[in-house]
Amino acid sequence: MIEFQNADVTYPGGFKALSNVSLTIEQGELVVIVGLSGAGKSTLLRAINGFVPITAGSVRVNGTEVRGAHEATLRELRSGIGMIFQTFNLVHRTTVLNNVLMGRLAKVPRWRSMLGLWPAADKEIAIQSLERVEIVEKTYIRASNLSGGQQQRVGIARALAQQPQVLLADEPVASLDPVTSHTVMRDLRRINRDLGITTIINLHFLDLARSYGKRLIGLRDGELVYDGDIADVDDETFRGIYGRALTPDDLKEGAEL
Amino acid sequence: MTVPDLGIRPDAVKRPDDPLGPKLFRAAIFVAILVPAIWSATGLQIDWPSLNPFRWVTDWEITLQWSWPYLILVAIVGLTVYWLSKRLTWSAAAAAAVLVMPWLNIWNEDFFFFDIWNIVHRLAPPDLSAEAVQRALPKVMESIFIAWVGTMIGAFFSFPLAFLAAKNMTPPWVNTGIRQVLNAIRAVPELLVAMLLIPITGLGAWTGTMALGLHSIGTLGKLSSEVVEGIDGGPVEAVGAVGGGQVARIRFAVIPQVLPTIVAYWLYRFEINIRASAVLGVVGAGGIGAELVAQLKFRDFARAGTVLFLTVGAVLIVDTISARLRRRIISGEPEPSPLTNFLGRTWWQRGLALLGIGIVAGIVVFLLRQLQVDLSIL
Ligand SMILES: Nc1ncnc2c1ncn2[C@@H]1O[C@H](COP(=O)(O)OP(=O)(O)OP(=O)(O)O)[C@@H](O)[C@H]1O
Ligand SMILES: [Mg+2]
Repeated sequence: MIEFQNADVTYPGGFKALSNVSLTIEQGELVVIVGLSGAGKSTLLRAINGFVPITAGSVRVNGTEVRGAHEATLRELRSGIGMIFQTFNLVHRTTVLNNVLMGRLAKVPRWRSMLGLWPAADKEIAIQSLERVEIVEKTYIRASNLSGGQQQRVGIARALAQQPQVLLADEPVASLDPVTSHTVMRDLRRINRDLGITTIINLHFLDLARSYGKRLIGLRDGELVYDGDIADVDDETFRGIYGRALTPDDLKEGAEL
Repeated sequence: MTVPDLGIRPDAVKRPDDPLGPKLFRAAIFVAILVPAIWSATGLQIDWPSLNPFRWVTDWEITLQWSWPYLILVAIVGLTVYWLSKRLTWSAAAAAAVLVMPWLNIWNEDFFFFDIWNIVHRLAPPDLSAEAVQRALPKVMESIFIAWVGTMIGAFFSFPLAFLAAKNMTPPWVNTGIRQVLNAIRAVPELLVAMLLIPITGLGAWTGTMALGLHSIGTLGKLSSEVVEGIDGGPVEAVGAVGGGQVARIRFAVIPQVLPTIVAYWLYRFEINIRASAVLGVVGAGGIGAELVAQLKFRDFARAGTVLFLTVGAVLIVDTISARLRRRIISGEPEPSPLTNFLGRTWWQRGLALLGIGIVAGIVVFLLRQLQVDLSIL
C-alpha cells in the first residue's frame, strides 16, 4: 500500500513541483497518472522510491516512511520497487542477461554480484523474467543490438527480476511507436494482473490510459485534480487536467493502427 | 474499451545457449594481462635467447636478389591503397607503378632525397644470416615485453585514478588534484623518465619498463577519466532504482560502459609504447635500441639493417593484431578475418582473387625476365 499524506515537493531552486497531495494506492492496483508536461508526474513517481525527497507531509510504502529515511532503509525499499524508464536506461555494452541480473543485486551476497558470480537460482529468475516479457531469445545479445521496444521489455524484465511489490513506470512508451506502445502496455497490464504487483504508470496521453487503466490520477501544476475511474472522465475533468476542452481527437485511441 | 491483440509474438520460445566465444575471449585477455604481470614481479629476469623459438636453427642462407626494402615499400603502397579504396585493381596498379619507377630512372643521384636513399641503400639488403638474426631477435622480443609490461603497469594504476579524476565521480577538490598530478606525469617524456631512473634502477629492461609504466599512468589516466566523464547517466540511475549503492553504481553501470573503450586505450597505448621501447635502449634502458646504436657505431650497416628489419616487422605484426583486438573489443563482435577482407567472402570469390593475383604476379615476373631487369642494382 502506498499512502501520500499532504505531501509537498519543493525543489532546491524553490520550485514547488508537488503541493498537498494525498492519495492511497492499494496493493495490486493499476494506476495511471496523466497531466501536462511539467505537471509533476515524474516527481510524484520518484517521491515513492525516494529519488526525490518530499519536503512536507508523508509518503509511506507498505508502512515504511520514505521521508527522511536513512540510506540503508531507502536501498532496502528500492530493492522492492521496480522502475521502468522512458529511455530504458540499459547498459548498452553488455548482454541482456547482465542487464536483467542487475535487478537481483540487492538479493545476492555482495562479493558474488561484484565478481559476476551470480547464483544459478538468480540466473533462473532473470531468465524467467525475460520469458515473461517474451524476449528470452535475446538473452545473450548485447543490449545495444535491440530495438527500442525490445529494450523496454528488457527494462521491464530487469524490474521483474527484483520480484517487486511495486512497479513504477515513468512514461514507458513515450519513445516507442504506437504498435510497440500497445505491446509494452499490454505486458505491463498482464504483469499487474498475473503477479498482483502494484503498478503506477505515467502517461502523457489519455487514449492509452483509457485502453489499459482503470484508476486515473490527474495532475495539474503539482496539484491532484482528479482521482477516480477512467470511465468517468468527462469534459469537465479533462479541462481540469489539460486546461482545455476534450476534442474527438483525444478519444481516438490509437485509431491509425 | 478494447485492446488490439497484436498476436505477433510466439508464446513459447526456446531458451538460447550461453555462447562460449565471448567467455574464451575474456579469459584470453585475462591470461595475457596476468602472465606478464607475474613474470614482471620476478624482476624481468628472462633468458630471452633461450626463449627464442628459432634458436635451434643455427644456419641458413638467404641470398637476396632484389632489394628487400624496395619490395616492402611496394607491398606497403599496395596494401595502403587497398585499405583506402577497397579495390584490388587500384592497389595492384599503385604497386605496379611504384615497382616500375626504378626503370624509369627517376631515383638517381638527382632525385631529391638522394641522401636518405643512400643510407637506406646501405642498410639493404639486411644481413639475415642465422647468426645476425639470433643476435637481434631476443632483443626485439625484450622490447615488446618491456612495452607490454609497462603498459600493464600504467593500466593497473591509471584505472582507479581515472575514476578519482573524473568530474562526475568525485568532489571537485579530489578530481582537480588528481588531474593535475596526471598532467604533470604526462608532461615528462618517457626517455627523460628512463634517464632519471637509471641511477635508481640501473641499466636494463626494468628501467625501461618503469619509465613506460610511469608515463602511461599519466596518459591512460587522463584518457580514461575522460571516458568516465562521458558516460550515460541513465544506467547509473537504474542501479540506484534497484537498491544499489555507490559501489554497485560503479560496478554495474559505470564500468560496463567504460571498460571496452578503456581497454582499447590500453592496447593503443601498447602500440605507442612498442615504438617508444625501441628507442629506450639508446639510453641503456633495455631492448633493441642499444643493438642498433652499437651496429651503427661499428658501421656495420647490414647488421643495423637486420635490427631495423626485425623491429619494423615486429611492430607491424603487433600493431595489426592489437588494432584488430581493439576493434573487436569496441564492437563486441568478432570481425571477419583479414583473409575475408582481402580475398572476399565466398570460396569462389577467394579463388578468383587468388587467380587474379597469380596472373598479375606471373606477368610481372615474365616482364622482369624479358626486360632483364636486375633490381639488385638498386
Ligand atoms: N531537479 C529539479 N530541480 C528543479 N526543478 C525541477 C527538477 N525536476 C523537475 N523540476 C520541475 O518540476 C516540475 C515538475 O517536473 P516533472 O518532471 O515532475 O514533470 P512531468 O509531469 O514528469 O513532466 P514531463 O511530462 O515533461 O516528464 C517541472 O516544472 C520541472 O521544471
Ligand atoms: Mg516526467
